[in-house]
Amino acid sequence: MSLLAIDDLAIGAADLSLVDGVTLSVEPGEVVALVGESGSGKSLTALSIMGLLADGLQRQRGSIEFDGVDLTQLADEQLRSLRGAELAMIFQEPVSSLNPLAAVGDQVAESLIVHGRSSVADAGREAIDMLRRVGIPEPERRARQLPTELSGGMCQRVMIAAALISRPRLLIADEPTTALDVTIQAQILALMSALAEEANTAILLITHDMGVVAEMADKVCVMYGGRVVEQGPVEALFATPRHPYTNMLLKTIPRLDEEPGQELFAIPGNVPSPRDWPVGCRFRTRCDRADETCAERPALTGQLHQVACHHALRGDA
Amino acid sequence: MIMSRPLARVRSSLSWWPALLLATLVLLAVFAPWIAPVDPDRQNLLGRLKPPGFEARGQLFWLGSDELGRDVLSRMIYGARVSISVAFLSVMLSGIVGVSVGMLAGYLRGPVETVLMRLVDIFLSIPAILLAIITVAVLGPGFINVILVLALTRWPRYARVAYGQTLALADRPFVTLARAMGASTPRVLFTHLLPNIAGPLLVVATLEFGLMVLFEAGLSFLGLGVQPPTASWGSMLSTGRSYVASAWWIATFPGLALFLLVLSANLIGDRLTDQIGKGR
Repeated sequence: MSLLAIDDLAIGAADLSLVDGVTLSVEPGEVVALVGESGSGKSLTALSIMGLLADGLQRQRGSIEFDGVDLTQLADEQLRSLRGAELAMIFQEPVSSLNPLAAVGDQVAESLIVHGRSSVADAGREAIDMLRRVGIPEPERRARQLPTELSGGMCQRVMIAAALISRPRLLIADEPTTALDVTIQAQILALMSALAEEANTAILLITHDMGVVAEMADKVCVMYGGRVVEQGPVEALFATPRHPYTNMLLKTIPRLDEEPGQELFAIPGNVPSPRDWPVGCRFRTRCDRADETCAERPALTGQLHQVACHHALRGDA
Repeated sequence: MIMSRPLARVRSSLSWWPALLLATLVLLAVFAPWIAPVDPDRQNLLGRLKPPGFEARGQLFWLGSDELGRDVLSRMIYGARVSISVAFLSVMLSGIVGVSVGMLAGYLRGPVETVLMRLVDIFLSIPAILLAIITVAVLGPGFINVILVLALTRWPRYARVAYGQTLALADRPFVTLARAMGASTPRVLFTHLLPNIAGPLLVVATLEFGLMVLFEAGLSFLGLGVQPPTASWGSMLSTGRSYVASAWWIATFPGLALFLLVLSANLIGDRLTDQIGKGR
């Protein structure tokens, strides 16, 4: 049984569809990357798993099963007992995601205290131990400092420590390295996956960096316009992308073996606003293979490697 | 502004006096029984309306005596107890109510927000002194009732500030993270949000403290506050008013004390505003 199984999830405001029919699954201990441009609905999907959608946004249909339990049917209090304990999340902005007036150690211990897993004194000791494990020097001293006294990379380590201290079964990482220096990004990702592996924590990694995907993920799920357009094992998807969008996305990565001086590839056009999404396939306005059949919504087909396109690329193989 | 160094030093040493004055008045109030020269309620009908410095039966009336021959200085020291405790307790009570209402409205939004904030608007539109008079007329005068009345009329101020501040912070990532950690609504509100909005609330509370001292005096002046024979600055002003032409000291000294207490509270409030402005 999958650890997390999202089926036909749709999210929107009153008359606006933002996420439309997302289906994806995460197995225990697996790293699944959720990829897509800004506005593709990645973060909304993640927040709805936690039950933390902003005011005015609602789940319109679909189910989110975690360990066999449909999270969308749980009472607020039941969902709260899972948050921080079984489901953890880390955010993009490490500094502003920490409470500016609370000591770092207290924030790492938060989920232990909230869920009554340890006494306050024990939680404090565990937090210092966790800070040490995420590579923060002098954790006893750092634990008493405020987030503003730490660098962005340190704050991201603190957030990872806070998320993993309860050994959750699923960690949702929403662009965890986007706000960090390139030199620190790799360190943070390596740290996150090492600690997650140790606790057998599955990761749902939200990113738009295909390099990160190739390095970290077991499975990839590509989103465009609030829908999943392609998903499958990372090797298959990188070797033989089947959706034209995935193909273009991979072509945008600059390669070392190319002739120098060549112009970089860019996907033509912009992501339309959710109000202007075309009928049928939402990528057809930017796609070079589109024709009149694309006015009908393509279904997600295939077994392990799934694609939603009427004119899917066959791949070289 | 460029200031010469000695002048700057004088200025910075002067900036301490509001806090010092407030501390002195609080100490006087707390230790009134040991500091006051005589029992504030002891009458001396032969020594009525005597001017400051008058001596009778071996007792020196530093600040004169009132219409019943009671020592004005002692009554003022005891009166500080009423002023400061009423102001402090009403600030605490209205602050707790107002901050809770404002934070709940700003955090929960929706119908809770509509109901609570319209209630705030309604309370803000009723003239405070009128509401106070009506409430005292219903509840009757007295120490506890004065505090209740003041809290009832002043809580919307805190609610407004707490509401605005909560609204500004509720969407910040650190609040979402706290919720993602499984923090309950009360925990998010009081452990995570409250410390972050405490600064502006403290400024409001300090300025309100000065106002509460005046309100209490006003109610006592109107006979709606603390009842005789308990000494209060407001009631001393009220009785002293009849004797202003012949015995100026009865009303003047409590008035002066009132002025200094309110002034020091307001100056501390202004300074806090500056400090918070710098911290941002």
